Amino acid sequence: MTDPFELLGLARRFSLDRAALEQRHRDLSRTLHPDRYVQAPPGERRMALERAVGVNEAFRALRDPLTRAEALLTLHGLSMGDADRPAPALLMEVMDLREALDEARRSPDKVAALLDRVRARSRAEESALATAFDADDAPDATALGRARDALVRLKYFRRFEDEADAALDY
Amino acid sequence: MALLQIFDPVAPPTPIGIDLGTTHSLVAYMVDGRPECVLDCDQSPLLPSVVHYLEHGGVMVGTEAKGKAALHPRETLVSAKRFMGRGADDPETRRLGPYDFAMPAPGESNSVRFKVRGRAVTPVEVSAEILRVLRTNAEAKLRSVGGAVITVPAYFDEAQRQATKDAAKLAGLEVLRLLNEPTAAALAYGLDKGRTRGTFAVFDLGGGTFDVTILSLDDGVFQVRSTGGDAQLGGDDMDRLFAGWALGHMGVDPATASPELVRAALDAARVAKHELTDRPTTVIVVKSGETTFERAIRRTEFEDLVRPVIERTTPAVKRALRDAGLRPEEVDGVILVGGSTRVPAVREQVKKLFGQEPLSDIDPDQVVAFGAAIQADLLAGEGTKDDALILDVIPLSLGLETMGGVAEKILPRNTTIPAGRAQQFTTYADGQTGFELHVVQGERELAQDNRSLAKFTLRGIPPLPAGAAKLEVTFRVDADGMLTVTARELNTGIEQRIEVTPSFGLSGDDVERMLLESYEHAESDLATRQLRERITDAERVIAATEAALRVDGDLLDEDERAELDGALKALREAIAAQDGKKVHLRTEGLDRATQPLAERRMDRAVQQAMKGRAVAEVEDTVKDRPEHPHLAASYAKDSENDKETR
Repeated sequence: MTDPFELLGLARRFSLDRAALEQRHRDLSRTLHPDRYVQAPPGERRMALERAVGVNEAFRALRDPLTRAEALLTLHGLSMGDADRPAPALLMEVMDLREALDEARRSPDKVAALLDRVRARSRAEESALATAFDADDAPDATALGRARDALVRLKYFRRFEDEADAALDY
Repeated sequence: MALLQIFDPVAPPTPIGIDLGTTHSLVAYMVDGRPECVLDCDQSPLLPSVVHYLEHGGVMVGTEAKGKAALHPRETLVSAKRFMGRGADDPETRRLGPYDFAMPAPGESNSVRFKVRGRAVTPVEVSAEILRVLRTNAEAKLRSVGGAVITVPAYFDEAQRQATKDAAKLAGLEVLRLLNEPTAAALAYGLDKGRTRGTFAVFDLGGGTFDVTILSLDDGVFQVRSTGGDAQLGGDDMDRLFAGWALGHMGVDPATASPELVRAALDAARVAKHELTDRPTTVIVVKSGETTFERAIRRTEFEDLVRPVIERTTPAVKRALRDAGLRPEEVDGVILVGGSTRVPAVREQVKKLFGQEPLSDIDPDQVVAFGAAIQADLLAGEGTKDDALILDVIPLSLGLETMGGVAEKILPRNTTIPAGRAQQFTTYADGQTGFELHVVQGERELAQDNRSLAKFTLRGIPPLPAGAAKLEVTFRVDADGMLTVTARELNTGIEQRIEVTPSFGLSGDDVERMLLESYEHAESDLATRQLRERITDAERVIAATEAALRVDGDLLDEDERAELDGALKALREAIAAQDGKKVHLRTEGLDRATQPLAERRMDRAVQQAMKGRAVAEVEDTVKDRPEHPHLAASYAKDSENDKETR
């Protein structure tokens, strides 16, 4: 897998300055975007296209904390497998949230309140990820394990956020 | 017969921007740093997108053609854009309209075809007629016309985009880029007003299509955050409801009305609709043959009639805002595009959805063509990295049909283009040497509910036990929003052959055939034309290579430089000898020989881009808002407080 941090010239950390990420993406796009190569020979056009695609993919991976954490885990040699079973407590919490969402479906205010609650949980997990990945220069096995756990929880909360968001649309 | 044209050999060709609209089409170019439209013989920048097929062959395009519609409703094609990229059985063919349609003959591609004067005509051919007139008008004004940027609705799918490219090819235009209409409008606005940053929404309601795009402008980069819309929603639908109402009052069943009456009702509805923009009441007059129907109508009655059409814009706007992670009040300005945004009820809708008065100080009819001309100029010129840049997105998720008929999304909607993603597959049966991929576009769960794009068949997979083959399929979407698929078998590293069967629209062969049929230039010798094209391509590669060597020649060592100079010399010799085959081969040879230089130049440019800014990369606290995979990035704003309120 290509290293999105390296491709964008950013430090390999979970904590990321969003403005810096956006700026870097813009600067690299200015250099590599196909629009800059319309008059160039076909070989160079193809090359620029590949690189521009890479830059866009790296940007997409890094701007979402969830995919950023996944990328970091992979770079540190771990991967999210099917073996990542969520803790029973988490499953219970999500089931309760789902029930609450079903009951609240008709009331946008209640759904919005649920959404806020879960967003706060997501943010807490993101803080845990930041601590796990960034506290030391190189996270050890224990830290990586904690990161993976936080990521599992974040995924569940994110899925719930999507459902709640969709419920707000209609 | 074409008159001889005397070209100024020294003047470089002028790039042009084209708005190929449902109701009107325009062509624009840059003069003294500002865009300007080419006027047609009526001194109007607007060419009605109407094509009339004459009895003994030949066509009329524009205002003249429009005049023929009442008496020749089947032969006068209006709003052909609504049929671009559509299959023969598309629901559009059953909506209120005067046309006859022809089903494809066995072996013919699955495309809508109009039955006109005893033959079948595709929407691509109709659009090509319009583009041809725009091109000749531009040539009359500019003498030498270069490449064209042609706009398409942001919500146009793959088949519709391909149809647009095919039409351009038939019309003899070189397409520099397909540009999304709302993005074009934003470009025209952004550069005109000299704004350097902000978030804008473009609400583009034309004759036949609706787009809503949310963009941010930062440092000359126009980045689309999200886009949504409906490729079959527009002013025409208001006309249909209005005409249907009038026919009802005339005691006529729209399903059995004559084409002449239907055309008369639609035209009358359009006229009355325009009148109600400026007046609170009007009289709709439907005149056909001996029948005349008149009825007074108030604006409020009209608005009640067309409310369903206007309401259909709401879900797309809400979703676009949600995908961009923005509330309506976070939008700095709403740009109105398209003639239908003149309807007062539509402006009310925009005010309601965004909570602000929209901007419309650039003519909503011309703003898209202006944006296209600006981009054409950017693309055709030398270009520096400080020029404006557009980062657009795909409007609809691209996916594959998997076991059980589920659509698995490979590239989600609002992914910034160019984009690419790989997916791995394996075989189901022992010794399986072929594999079929069904590509669909859309947001629904099941593949059958989405738009079928094409079937890609992979061949030449090495015979292996089931599950042993490792097929890596890569989806790539280019800056025009067009998809290409490549595949490699990972065990052997062999690139697979891919056959594409488009679900809708014309095949490459169809277009080639049409091109040959329409060929009417003085030099009918295909070989001569091919030689000219090859030499033009070769000269372009030579110019680009020389420009690159001037700036970055130091990146090559002596031997590499000598090799490259040799390739340049050989190509120049082939051009001098007017040897088409040699020119073609040596152009490819030069292309290959420049690759090391191209790669190093790119590396150098990237290094410079990364050094360019001194911005702190690392922060102690995480500044992000929670994100969704298919949401475009929400960016750090200057004020801190919105994070708390969200």
